[in-house]
Amino acid sequence: MKNPVPKTQRPTVLLIVVIVFVTPLIKHNAFWIDNSVLFAIFSLFALSVGMSYGQAGILSIATGAFAAIGGFSTAIVTTRYGLSSYLGLLLAIAAPAVLAYPTARIVTRLSPLPLSIATLVLSSIIEIAIREGGDFTGGYIGLSGIPPISIAPTPFSMHILAWACVAFVLFCYCNLMESAFGRAINTVRHDSLRALADGVDVPSVLASFFAISAAVAGLGGWLYAHNLSYLGPDSLDVSVSMQVLLMAIVGGARRPLGPVIGASLLLLIVSELPAAETQGMVFGGALVLILLVAPQGLIGGKLPSLWRRQAGPKAPKREDASKVSLVALEAGEPS
Amino acid sequence: MAFELMELTLRGLFLGVTIGLLALPISLIFITTDSVDLAVGSYAVLAAAVALLVGGLSGVLAGVAAAVGASIIVGIIALRLNRPGRQDPIVVVLATFGAATFLESFILSVYGKDPIVRRPFEALWEIFGVRISPQVGINLAVGVLILGALSVMLYGTPFGRAMRASAVNPVGASLAGVPVRAIWFATYVLGGLLAGVAGILILNTTGMDYSSGLNFTLGAFGASILFGLKSPLRGFVGGVGMGLVQAWSAGYLPGAWATAVPLAFIFLVLSMGRMSRATVAGGRA
Repeated sequence: MKNPVPKTQRPTVLLIVVIVFVTPLIKHNAFWIDNSVLFAIFSLFALSVGMSYGQAGILSIATGAFAAIGGFSTAIVTTRYGLSSYLGLLLAIAAPAVLAYPTARIVTRLSPLPLSIATLVLSSIIEIAIREGGDFTGGYIGLSGIPPISIAPTPFSMHILAWACVAFVLFCYCNLMESAFGRAINTVRHDSLRALADGVDVPSVLASFFAISAAVAGLGGWLYAHNLSYLGPDSLDVSVSMQVLLMAIVGGARRPLGPVIGASLLLLIVSELPAAETQGMVFGGALVLILLVAPQGLIGGKLPSLWRRQAGPKAPKREDASKVSLVALEAGEPS
Repeated sequence: MAFELMELTLRGLFLGVTIGLLALPISLIFITTDSVDLAVGSYAVLAAAVALLVGGLSGVLAGVAAAVGASIIVGIIALRLNRPGRQDPIVVVLATFGAATFLESFILSVYGKDPIVRRPFEALWEIFGVRISPQVGINLAVGVLILGALSVMLYGTPFGRAMRASAVNPVGASLAGVPVRAIWFATYVLGGLLAGVAGILILNTTGMDYSSGLNFTLGAFGASILFGLKSPLRGFVGGVGMGLVQAWSAGYLPGAWATAVPLAFIFLVLSMGRMSRATVAGGRA
C-alpha cells in the first residue's frame, strides 16, 4: 500500500525519470546535448531564485552576480594558479554564500520593494568590481582557457554531471523545506511577526537561507565557467539575473520543480528565436502574461485556476472550512 | 580646484533636474498605488529613441506620445493585477519589470546599439566661466515648471486630494466615492508623460543608449527615497542630490567606479532603514 517514493521527494524522482528518458533521445545530437547542459545550469540559477523568492520571499536580482562570483572563483584558481577544479567548486560554493549572508542581514530588514532594488544595486556593483578587477579577474577581456572538469571532459558527461547537480540540489531543497528550518522559512515569508512570536530568529534564518540559495547559484556558476571555458564580465550579469527570475516565476517559484520547468521552457523558446535582440521581448512578455494569467506560475496552482478569475472563490472557501471545523469542535466537545 | 568643484557642482545640479523629473513619477506612483513602476526609465529611453528617429518638433511629440502609450499599457496591466483591497505591490513591480525588459529589447531591435543623443545647440553659454549648453536652461525651466504644476495639482486641487486619498486608504477612498482605479490608472499615464518629457531633455543633454532604462530607474528610485518616498517634491530635491553625487564621482573617480559610487550611495540610503519593514505600510504584504 505504501508509496515507495516519499511525497517530499516526488519532484526529484520526476526530474530523474525525465532525464533518464530524454538522455537516450538526444545522446547523439551535439546541439541538444550542448543546450541541455545550458538548461541544467540555468535550472540551478532559477532554483536559487525559487528558494530565495518562492520560499523566503526575498525577491533577489543578484542571482547572476552570485553565479559570477562562483564562476570567477573557480576560473581564477584554475587558470591563474593551476589548481584543481574541485577546489574551485568549494570556493564557488563558499564565496557567494559568505557574501550573501551579511548582505541578507542588511537587506532583509527592508520591505520587499526596496529589498529587490538593493539586490539589484548590489549586483551592479559586483559587476563593476569584476570589470575593474584588472589582471585578477581579466577585466573587460575576461578569463579564457578554463579547463574542463576532469570527471566530465566530454559534452555528454557534462550533461550527466550538470543534471546530477540539479537533481542533487532539488533533493536537498525538498528535504530542507520539510525540515523545521524550512517551515520556519515559510512562516517568515507568510508573516514575519508570527515567526518571531513562534521563536524563530528571523534575521538569522533568512540570511542563512539566502546564503544557501547564493551557494546554489555559485554551483551553477562553477558549471557555467568550466562548460564554456570562458568567463567575461558580462557573461553572468544583471540581465542573466532578470532572465532567471522570470524563469522561476514563469515555472512557479513556490514549487521545487517550477524553476527547472520555467528555465527549460524559456530556453527552449529562446533557442528557436531568430535574433538575440528579441530575447528580452519574449522574457518580458512571458513574465507579464504569466502574472496576469497564472500568478503562481505554470505549475503553481491547480489546473482550473489557469482560467479562473484571479479573485477566485478560494479564500472564502478556506474560511468556511475552518468555520465548519470549529462548529464541529464546539458541537463535539460537550458530549 | 575650486573652479573644478564649482563646474562639477553646476553640472550635477543640471543633471539632477532630469533625475528629479524621473523621480517624480516614481514617488507619485508610490504615494497613489503603494507600488513602483520600474519601467519609468524605459519610457524615457523610448521617448528619446522615437524623437531621434522621427526628428524635429513632431519627433518630440511622437516621443512623448510613445512614452504615454507604453505607460497606458503598463497601467492597464497594473490595474488588472492590483485592485483596491487586494493589493500585492511586489507582483505589480515584477510586471513593470517585465515591461522594462520588453521595452529594452524592443528598443534594441528597432533602434540598435548606437548612442541615443543629440546636440541641439552649437553656441554655449558661459556661467562663471563654466561652458554649458543652453539646453540645461531649458531643462531647468521645464523641471521647475512641472514641479510647480504638480505641487499645485497635488496639494491644491480636488483631484490631488483624491489621488492622495487613494494611496492612504484605497478601500476607504472608494467608499467615499473616489474613483480609485481611474486615479491609479491616471497616475501611471501621468508617470509616462513625465518620463517621456525627461527622456527628451536627457536626449538633448547627456544622452543614453538602449540599455540606460534600468539605470535611469535606479537613479530615480534612489533619488526618490533619499528624502522619503512619500512626497514627490522631496523626490525632486533628492534627484538634484543624486545628480550632485553622480557628477562629483564622475569628476573625481576613475572609470567605472564613477558609476559604482552612486549605486553604493543608493545601497547605503536603502540600508539606513528609511524603508524598513516597520516604516512602510506595505511591509507586511
